[in-house]
Amino acid sequence: MLERAHTAHPIDTTAEIETPEHLRFHYPIAGPARRGIAYLIDFLISGFVMALFGLAAFIGGIAVGDAIGEVSFGIVLLVKFLFDWLYFVLFEMVWNGRSPGKRALDLRVVTVHGHPLRLADSFLRNLLRAADMLPWGYVVGGVVAALDGRFRRLGDMVAGTMVIVEERRAVAASIRIEPPPTDKELRSIPQRLPLSGEELEAIDLFLRRKDKLGPAREEELASMVAPIFAKRMGVRYKDATRFLMLLHFRANTRRKAA
Amino acid sequence: MKTQDEIIAARQRDWHELEAIVSRGEAFHQLDGPSISRAATLYRSLCNDLAKSRARCTPDLVAYLDNLAGRAHSALYGAQPFRAPPIVSLLFREFPATLRKNAVFLAIASALFLIPCAIGFALGLHLPNTTADILPRSMLEGMADAYSKGFDAGRSEATDTSMAGYYVYNNVGIAFRCFATGIFYGLGSIFFLLYNGLVIGAVAGYVGAAGFGGNIGTFMCGHAPFELTAIVISGAAGLRMGYALVVTNGRTRLGSLRESAPEIARLVGGAAFMLLIAALVEGFWSPSAVAAPVKWTVASIFTLAVAAWLALGGRAGALQRRSA
Repeated sequence: MLERAHTAHPIDTTAEIETPEHLRFHYPIAGPARRGIAYLIDFLISGFVMALFGLAAFIGGIAVGDAIGEVSFGIVLLVKFLFDWLYFVLFEMVWNGRSPGKRALDLRVVTVHGHPLRLADSFLRNLLRAADMLPWGYVVGGVVAALDGRFRRLGDMVAGTMVIVEERRAVAASIRIEPPPTDKELRSIPQRLPLSGEELEAIDLFLRRKDKLGPAREEELASMVAPIFAKRMGVRYKDATRFLMLLHFRANTRRKAA
Repeated sequence: MKTQDEIIAARQRDWHELEAIVSRGEAFHQLDGPSISRAATLYRSLCNDLAKSRARCTPDLVAYLDNLAGRAHSALYGAQPFRAPPIVSLLFREFPATLRKNAVFLAIASALFLIPCAIGFALGLHLPNTTADILPRSMLEGMADAYSKGFDAGRSEATDTSMAGYYVYNNVGIAFRCFATGIFYGLGSIFFLLYNGLVIGAVAGYVGAAGFGGNIGTFMCGHAPFELTAIVISGAAGLRMGYALVVTNGRTRLGSLRESAPEIARLVGGAAFMLLIAALVEGFWSPSAVAAPVKWTVASIFTLAVAAWLALGGRAGALQRRSA
């Protein structure tokens, strides 16, 4: 577990931000599927509201007569204009970089320096949708974003923004062995483990995540490595996961003692 | 050396505290002073934890800390209540000043718009049948028909509202597209300037040839100073954007583009404002039954006002800054 971050490169696309504290942290970049779904949600919301306005105008036209119908038609078009050009700007200002769709999918627009975006940024990035949308269905935007390391469409590039994933995460759970290891179990585990640092790391990671895996997958993964380790140490075990827990326990108690 | 579980046990309370503060999100700036400085302290020690954990903890924990650091960073450094931008100064000082700074692009955009407009007008006036082969005949005839009646009766107020909505939707869309497609090295803006110039000119010429030139002129004169100018300015902003991509002055293309972004935003913002005025005029004033001489007089005043605004706006401020 010692020289982890230097060797392991994140697989996900991330953007590194360096703060005035000379601290670097990483934002995960939002990919095409997530942004697509978020857009779809926004599209449906504005479509739904437009439909409501249209329906109200239609009913008004029937109930009161053509005069109201035409007034409503004008208002419907004004509303459509607002939705087409200002829906995103409005929400990105009020909700600090999030439209309803982005909020639903834990996305946020920030500047490439990791700061909240300002009005001019939002205005530019959303105006340029007109170019990103071409020729239909955001083909230009999608291709450009695919070529960019931070998945930015043209609007993001001009405005200097990017879309990041901002999921709430939980603190990694600590590893507890239930029931506590017995002396009998521990006697079978060698004092000095013939395991590399990376192997111990892998065990650690597996144990932290095993509760999310489901029993079958947990068993499958554990029985892929446990026999190899057991053979190396010349020991036998009954339960693969339990065996890995004991190895982890031994590794940690040894380090504490050292 | 501490194990990960020990680090978590020792620090978890602080992390949760910071998380609770940061989770208020958009309301962060409303916190009282002590809470904010407490958040800053917690954030700094979190930075410390993150640096350490990167060296010796599992990716799960690093990801959690990264995430929390990001949220705290954006809360602390970006915590400002949303303020409406200084609209008046933006519109009456910065916008005209930026426009004059980019006079070359404005001149090119004007030429790209006005020349095909003149050609289209001449075509429509003298060769209406040929014009009808180029542009959809139904559109041209529809326009001629629409302007055949004149405005003696005016339109109902309901129709006015309806048309104002249509103009906002349609014309602002035209102008914004004229700008946005400038991202393709300016080519989109060039195309839309030429195309819209040609169409607008041809329609006016065709309606003139059909004998209703006075009507369309009286109709258009009121909003044209705002609308046509705004379309040209949008095109100029698009050209400016394309130019930043082509002539980078030693920067990366993206860097050059980024540097021009504030100017571009100001130009398009100003144009959007003009289009809003244009739509109101076009919806309510242009089709009204007011006598033609009055309309032309008002149109002249509008034209002078726009010219004065764009030519003089921001000059006094610039002088003050220079002498200060």
